[in-house]
Amino acid sequence: MIFGFLGMTYEFKWSVLWAQPHLTWLIDGLLTTLRLASISWCIAVLLGIVFGAMRTVPFRPVRVVATAYVEFFRNVPLLVWLFFWYFGAPEAFPEPVRQWFIRHGIEFWSAVAGISVYHGARFAEVIRAGIQAIPRTQLEAGLSSGLSVAATYRLIIIPIALRLIVPPATNESLNLLKNTSLAMTIGVAELTFAARQIETYTAKAVEALTSAAFIYLVLCLSISSVMNWLEGKFAIPGLIARGTGAEH
Amino acid sequence: MKRFGLALILSLIILSLAAAAPAQTQSTLEKIKNSGVFTIGVRNASPPFSFINKQNERAGFSNDLAELIHKAIEKKLGKQVKMEMKETSPATRIALLTSMSVDLITETMTDTRPRRDSVDFSLTYFVTGADFIVKKGSPIKGTKDIAGKRIGTQQGSTNERVLREKYTQAQLVTFPDQAAAFMALQQGKLDAYCNDAIQLWGLKYKSATPDQWVVVGDWISYEPYGFAMRKNDSDFRAVVNNALMEAIEGEEYFKLYEKWFGTKSDVPYPMNQTFKTFLLYQVVPK
Repeated sequence: MIFGFLGMTYEFKWSVLWAQPHLTWLIDGLLTTLRLASISWCIAVLLGIVFGAMRTVPFRPVRVVATAYVEFFRNVPLLVWLFFWYFGAPEAFPEPVRQWFIRHGIEFWSAVAGISVYHGARFAEVIRAGIQAIPRTQLEAGLSSGLSVAATYRLIIIPIALRLIVPPATNESLNLLKNTSLAMTIGVAELTFAARQIETYTAKAVEALTSAAFIYLVLCLSISSVMNWLEGKFAIPGLIARGTGAEH
Repeated sequence: MKRFGLALILSLIILSLAAAAPAQTQSTLEKIKNSGVFTIGVRNASPPFSFINKQNERAGFSNDLAELIHKAIEKKLGKQVKMEMKETSPATRIALLTSMSVDLITETMTDTRPRRDSVDFSLTYFVTGADFIVKKGSPIKGTKDIAGKRIGTQQGSTNERVLREKYTQAQLVTFPDQAAAFMALQQGKLDAYCNDAIQLWGLKYKSATPDQWVVVGDWISYEPYGFAMRKNDSDFRAVVNNALMEAIEGEEYFKLYEKWFGTKSDVPYPMNQTFKTFLLYQVVPK
């Protein structure tokens, strides 16, 4: 077909994508990816807020603990972490607990653990950057108004920081969604796994992988547009300097 | 800005034309002759066919047969070529073959009709069937016991397909390769691991505690092994098949079989008389 002039003899057959059971595999894979990504995202954001804030408090031991968490977890490749959480961590539990995990989706929950802890460390850095972008005067003003350090963080610093970090946080969220594809190496049947499955059953690699790429693209574009909308809706007027339109 | 973009696109098209033009239409023998390298696809952990032994070298029954094919290629081309080994896995091997990264898949690939749509196979050089490996004392003795149990397979293998299509009651867990699946079995994350019987025997005898593992089952599928090569390449296929036929006729094959499956080897597996007859009948007259 279109690649004929290059001398290739590949025959395109897009119907493999909506033939059953391939379509079911793709849909199941997509649902698993969405489940994995959303659960991991919620835990990662929570961990990120906690540890990101901890890195900025004026109390040294807390900062050291938070720094240790961040450096430890973000400096090892996620794939290695997934193997650790699946093959290594469960061995630390007593036998009945392990057996319970095994009967209840250990592959999925190991992937959730690995992805959320790794991305929690990365979110912590994003949030720390957001908090530290806020002038110190805000903290001093809060303290001098009679609020405790914790209350100042909760009522003043963190809300502003959350608005400041929307762009890098969007970036990290998209990374998290894409990193869910690594879970296929520990047996989680998510979208990339489903696409590879179709590829091995039909040998139609281009169709199968294009469909996976297209679905990831649509998902990521949806997330970025939602984040853009959020940024607009929750913006505090006058907080960010908005330039005039760029001139070409 | 616009002109730069146009120039960029034009140069990309020209580059891709130039790069793609010679690559796809060469036959395998031409490619080996021009590059001087014959690449085979091997495995890291599929004893005794294709694996890395304790001395950290690549070894195995399939690897040794590939060496015989290597010599036949050298004889046919009349020049020395280097044999390189590249790791492949069930999920990646056909793609690596068609993209010309490897010339011959010589690990443990089952010859099946759907696969023949994508690749060509040599003569059958080994037959086996799929069985299960379980921990000693496990209640699983065959396919009637696997309903609701966690059974491991390799992604992209024929075993995965059989379990998915015929034994839907079993809970299928797939892994990228045998090493990961076996580790999961050892840790109790799987109730059984399904693979070709001979490879399960290899796993059992190569493990640290062979007595702890039992191979059970009754060949839930028929798995004839063949070497896989690109389609529409009859000259290369003739060289491979001739090399295998010479080996079977001239006893080389049986010597290698004795080395890897004989009574003194790590995986004793006496040759079935039916299989021997089948092998001999595959050798067409000179």
